Amino acid sequence: MGQDSTGDKEVFAREMLALVNPIESIAPDRTVAEVAELFLNPDYAKVLSLPVVENGLPLGVISRYRFMDMYLKQFARELHGKRAIRHYINEKPLLVELDQPLAEAALHVAEHMQFPLTEDFVITRHGKYLGVGFVMDLLKAMEVRMRANTEELNGAYSRLKSSQLALVQSEKMASLGQMVAGVAHEINTPLGYVQNNVAIGQELFVQVREMIAGYEALVDNLLNEQATDEQISGQMAQIARMRGELNAHEMLGEMQGLMADSLYGIGQISELVLNLKNFSRMDAAATEAVNLNSCIESALNIGRNVLKNKVEVIKELGDLPRMTCSPSHLNQVFLNLFTNAAQAMGENGQLRIRTWQDKDSIHVSVTDNGKGILPEHLTHIFDPFFTTKPVGEGTGLGLAISHQIILQHGGEIRVESSVGAGTTFYIRLPLAVGESSHTDSTVLTEQF
Amino acid sequence: MSKPTILLIDDEERILRSLRMLFLSNYNVRMTTDPHEAIRILKTEKVHVIVSDQRMPVMQGSELLRIARDTSPATMRILLTGYSDLDASIASVNEGEVFRYLLKPWLADDVKSAVAEAAAIAEASFSVHSVDLKSVQAGVEHKKPRVLIIDSEEATSITVREILGVRCEIVWAYNAQMAMEELAKQDVSVVVSDLMLGETNVAYILKTIKQLNPQTQCIVVTSFNDTSRLIELINQAQISRYLPKPVGKNLLARNLESMLERFNLLRSQPALQNRQAVAPISDDHEKMQSGNFLGMIGRLRARVAA
Ligand SMILES: Nc1ncnc2c1ncn2[C@@H]1O[C@H](COP(=O)(O)OP(=O)(O)O)[C@@H](O)[C@H]1O
Ligand SMILES: [Mg+2]
Repeated sequence: MGQDSTGDKEVFAREMLALVNPIESIAPDRTVAEVAELFLNPDYAKVLSLPVVENGLPLGVISRYRFMDMYLKQFARELHGKRAIRHYINEKPLLVELDQPLAEAALHVAEHMQFPLTEDFVITRHGKYLGVGFVMDLLKAMEVRMRANTEELNGAYSRLKSSQLALVQSEKMASLGQMVAGVAHEINTPLGYVQNNVAIGQELFVQVREMIAGYEALVDNLLNEQATDEQISGQMAQIARMRGELNAHEMLGEMQGLMADSLYGIGQISELVLNLKNFSRMDAAATEAVNLNSCIESALNIGRNVLKNKVEVIKELGDLPRMTCSPSHLNQVFLNLFTNAAQAMGENGQLRIRTWQDKDSIHVSVTDNGKGILPEHLTHIFDPFFTTKPVGEGTGLGLAISHQIILQHGGEIRVESSVGAGTTFYIRLPLAVGESSHTDSTVLTEQF
Repeated sequence: MSKPTILLIDDEERILRSLRMLFLSNYNVRMTTDPHEAIRILKTEKVHVIVSDQRMPVMQGSELLRIARDTSPATMRILLTGYSDLDASIASVNEGEVFRYLLKPWLADDVKSAVAEAAAIAEASFSVHSVDLKSVQAGVEHKKPRVLIIDSEEATSITVREILGVRCEIVWAYNAQMAMEELAKQDVSVVVSDLMLGETNVAYILKTIKQLNPQTQCIVVTSFNDTSRLIELINQAQISRYLPKPVGKNLLARNLESMLERFNLLRSQPALQNRQAVAPISDDHEKMQSGNFLGMIGRLRARVAA
C-alpha cells in the first residue's frame, strides 16, 4: 500500500475517532435480565443499543426498544430473563469501519439507517469492535463539515472572482499599452509636420517682416522731399538683396500650403485624441444607445497602427439601428478581433468587416485571410490563457474576455476557420434589450 | 559649388512637403512616397543624404537603407520615425547602419544640423568611394588586431576566442576598471560589449570609445532590451551591431569578420571614419562619467609613456 493512502487513512481515522464512544461491550452469554439492568446504569444512559461482542468481533446489538417491546408482553421477564442475550440480538447491526472518510461513513449510515431510530451504529477497526457511534453525533459532525465547506467554497468563489478581475484588468492594460504605443505613433506623424511647419513659418515671418520694413522705409523716403538719391538707391539695393535671398512670393505660396497641411494634421490629432478618449472610457458605467458601426469605426481607428501598412480593410457596414449596450466593452471586443486578425496575417492581409441586421438581432462578422486556426485549437481559443503567441505578444485573454462581454450582452460569438485560408468570427447581439440584459450590462460594468 | 542633394522618403506627403521647405534653400531636394522610386533615384543621381521614414506600406525604412548601402555607399543614411520599436531600431543598426536615428516630432534645428553634418561627410567620402576599396585594402599590412570583450561573464569572450583564435589579441574585461586599463594600453580594433556589467550601466564607455579612436568598431551583445537606450547608442556611440545574448557562434563570427574588415578599411582610408561621427552625449550623468573615463585613460597613458 502506498504511503499516500496510509496517510489519508490516518486523517480519516482522526475524524472518525471523535465519533467513537468506547462503551464496554457485552458478552453474548450474559442473561437478558442482566442486560436489562445494564440499560438502567447511568453510564449507558445515552445509548440506544448495546453492542454484543465475542472475541473482539461484533455479533450484533441489542436495543432498548427491543427490551421495551419484549417486556410489555406478560411474563416476559420470567420467560426470557435467564436466557442468554445472544438469542435476542439484531445480528445485522449497522457497522462502520474507522478507516474511511466521514462523508462516506455518513452516506453508509444514512442508506442503512432504520426508522424510527432504535439503534446506534457500531464502529470497528479492521472488523474488531471499537465503540458505539451515535447517529446524532454523525449528523452534527457532517453539519460542521458542510459549514466549513461552504465557507471554503465562498472563499474560493471570491478569490476566483477577484483574480478574474485582475486578469481582465491585465488584458485591458496589455491592450491599452499596445494601443497607446500605436496611437503615439499615429500622433507623432502629424505632430512632426505641424511642428516643423510652425517652425518654418516662424522663420519666414521674421524674414517677411524685415522685408516689409525695408519696403516701408523706401516708401517713406520716396515721399520724403529731403531724402537723397543715394539714400533711396541704397535702400533699393538692400531690398533687391533681400529679394534675392528670399523669394517671398513663392515662399508665402508654399507656406500657405503648409498652413493647410497643418490644419489637416491638427484635425487628425484631435480625432485620435477623441477616439482614445471614447475608447478608454472602459470603466465608465456606460450603457448607451449607439450604432454598432460607430464602435467598429472607433476600434478601427484605434487599431489603425496594428492594421496599417499590411492590411487592407474592407468594410461592408449595413444600416443599423441604435442598440443599448456598453460601447466601451464592445470596442474592446472589436479591437481584440482586429488585433488577432492582423497578427494572423502576413503581407497582403485582407480584413473584411460586415454588419447586418435581422428581425431581432444585429450581426457582425470579421473575416481575415490569415493563417487560420488548427482544428485542435478551435475548441480552446475562448479559454483564458490559451495562446499560441510568444510571451509578450499574447496574453491568451483577448478572446476569453470578448466571449464574456458578448455573453453579458445576451449575445453569442462563434468562429469558423480553415488553416491557410483564414478565419471568421461571427457575433450576434440581440436587439431587444429587455430589463434583464440591461441589468446584465450594469453587472458587467461593475465586474470589468 | 553646387548644393548637396537630399532624398526624402515618407508615406505621408505632408511630411515630405514640410521637410522640403526646411531644406529648400540649401539643398537640392528630391522626395518621394515610393521606396522603389527612391532606389531608382539613388542609382541614377548623386545623393548626399537619404532621410527615410521607418514604417511604410511597401518597405520598411531599415530595408530601404540597407539597399541604399549597396546602391550608393557614399550616401549618408538617416532614419526619421515616429515609432520607436525595438525591432526597427535593431534593424536600423544591423542592416541600415544609420548615421542618425531621429524621432518624430523633431526639432527643425536638430534635423537641419544632422543633415548638414551628414552632407559634409558624404561630400568627403564620394571621392574615396570612387576608388576600388578592396584593392586599396589588399595592399596594406596590418599589425595583429586587438579585440576587447567587456562582459561580466566569460561566455562571450570564450566564443570570440573560438572564432578568432590566434589571429587576434583577445582581452576580456569584466568590470569598468579593467576595460579602462585595456583601452588605455593600446588601440582596440573591435569592442564586443554588453550594456550592463551586473548592476552597472556601461553605455558611457561605448559612447566614449569613438573619442579614443574613431576607427574602433563596437558590437553590442546583450539581452538588455530598451529601445530608447538603443537609439541613444546609435546616435551617440555609433555602435555597428546590436546582437542578442546568448549570441550564436556563426552570427558573431560573421559580424566580427566584417567589423575587423571595416576597421582595416578605416585605417587605410581615414577620410571615411567621419561617417561614424557621434552626436554629443545627451545624458548629464553619462557626460560626466565619460569625461572622468577619458581623464583617467589620459593619466594612465601618460604614466605608461613616462
Ligand atoms: N484571427 C485569428 N487567426 C488565427 N488565429 C487566431 C485568430 N484569433 C485568435 N486566434 C488564436 O486564438 C488564440 C487566442 O486568442 P486571444 O484570446 O486573443 O489571445 P492572444 O491573442 O493573446 O493569443 C491566439 O493565440 C491564436 O492562436
Ligand atoms: Mg488577442
